Formats: sequence, structure tokens, C-alpha cells
Amino acid sequence: MRKQEEPYLTGNLTAMIDVVFQLIIFFVCAISMQNNTNDDSITLTLAPNGTEVKAKDPREVKIDVHKDGTLSIAQQPISPSLLGSILKKTVADYGGNPDAVPIILRGDESVLHEKIQGALDACSEAGIVKIKFAALKEKGS
Amino acid sequence: MARKRYKADHHPGELNLTAMIDVAFQLLSFFLLAIKPVDVFANLDAFRPSPEKTNVSTPSAPMIKIMVLPMNPGESGVYVLNDTPMTTPQMESRLKKYADTDPTQTILIMCAKRSTHKQLVELLDKCAKYKLTNLSVVSSAGI
Repeated sequence: MRKQEEPYLTGNLTAMIDVVFQLIIFFVCAISMQNNTNDDSITLTLAPNGTEVKAKDPREVKIDVHKDGTLSIAQQPISPSLLGSILKKTVADYGGNPDAVPIILRGDESVLHEKIQGALDACSEAGIVKIKFAALKEKGS
Repeated sequence: MARKRYKADHHPGELNLTAMIDVAFQLLSFFLLAIKPVDVFANLDAFRPSPEKTNVSTPSAPMIKIMVLPMNPGESGVYVLNDTPMTTPQMESRLKKYADTDPTQTILIMCAKRSTHKQLVELLDKCAKYKLTNLSVVSSAGI
């Protein structure tokens, strides 16, 4: 009697491998885009003793102060008075608790303090007294 | 009569990996060339007292007052510590001394309008080095 042939499992893996590579490319590109939210035109001062930034606080407000003294949030230029209003509203949104709004001030190393002062005064107006000055702990390239 | 054996009519598992390996190496080369080392960021904490609460002339507790003055190009930093002008290395040794005494004492950093942000950050970095945490940054009215 003829032995019954066992079915042999075969599968075309090409499509699956294609999708896997597509996903790898997507995630690698998405991660690098996420890291590029900082304005690269700002040259930060080297501060090897500063506290390393490990986790990003979703509440944090990053204020950029460019070489020419212009202020910006999320790469959108902003005036000091508008910055003050935004910060006041943000503090109000957090129940009037200024400590709930971490401020990160990213100033270009060559910018004069009088330009930084505008941003600091806007923070003071909103009742925010804790400021984190951004710096470079280690230069990557 | 010899018994006829029926061999299973199937091929051993075959998968042409050449194309996949090609693509994998292409991707590897691309990312090796395209990737650049990321910068490590740091934060330096300081307080910015609101103007109405700042009273520099009559401090409630003994306070170290450091003034950051504008510097000429090429200079490393010009500071005035409790009315004594000093350079960055001198300042660093004084900060170390203060940290050894009491790292929680208040340091008031007064920045001149024409001083650069780099000077302030470098000073905050030196304070962070010696674990001096109670730092207040104010802006000087003059210069």
C-alpha cells in the first residue's frame, strides 16, 4: 500500500521581508526626525558638568534665543510680550502653578545677555522662577 | 522482486537569500554613512527671582555675589566676586572653597547686559561642578 504523502509546508517570505525592511526604514527615519526638533542654528555652550537630559518632560517649554536676539518657540519667531502671554496662559492651564511649567532656555553662546533678559523677564511675568539653561554636555560630531 | 519505494515528491526548502542580503548590506551601508553621532544635552538649573522680590542691597542671608562683565574677544571670562575682579581659574578655586564650606549657600549671579550668554553658562557649569545648587540669575541694570 502506498504511503500517503505528507503535505510539505512552503511559504513565500518575500512580501514579509519587504514589509520588515519598510518598517525598519520608517522607524529609523522617524526617530531621527524626532531628534531634529531642536533648532540647529543655535550653538549651545559646552557644559560638561551639567545635568544630562535623559527624559523629555511633555510639559516643558523650550525657548530659543538666536544669535540675532530673536526669540522662538518650536521654531516659530515670537516677541517677548507674546512669549509672556503664552507663558501666563500655560501657567493658568496648569492650575496657576508655575512650577508645573518647566522652562528650558536655549540661548546661542554668542548672544548678549540683554537679549536673554527679554525671555527671562517674560518668565518672571508669568511667575516662573525656575529656569533650565540648555547646554551641550558632549558634542556628538 | 525488489519493492518499489516511493519517494516523497517535494523539494528541500529553498529560499533565495541573495536579494535580501543585497538589500540588507545596502541598508547597512546607507545608515553607517548617513548616521551622525548625537549631541548629549545638559540642563543647568537656576532661579530667576522676579524683579519685585529681588532686593540685592539688603540680602536676608549672607550671599555670594558674582557679576558677569562683558569681555573682549579672546578673553576667557571676566567676573567680579564680591567686588573683587577675577579670571575664570581664580573664580573656580573660590567656588570650590565655597562648596567645601556650604554647598547650599545662595549665589547671586548678576549679568551685565553686554556680557555673552556663554559666560553665564560657563559660570553655571562651574557651579554645577562643585554642586552649588542655590543659584539666582539677575540682570544688571547698567553696562
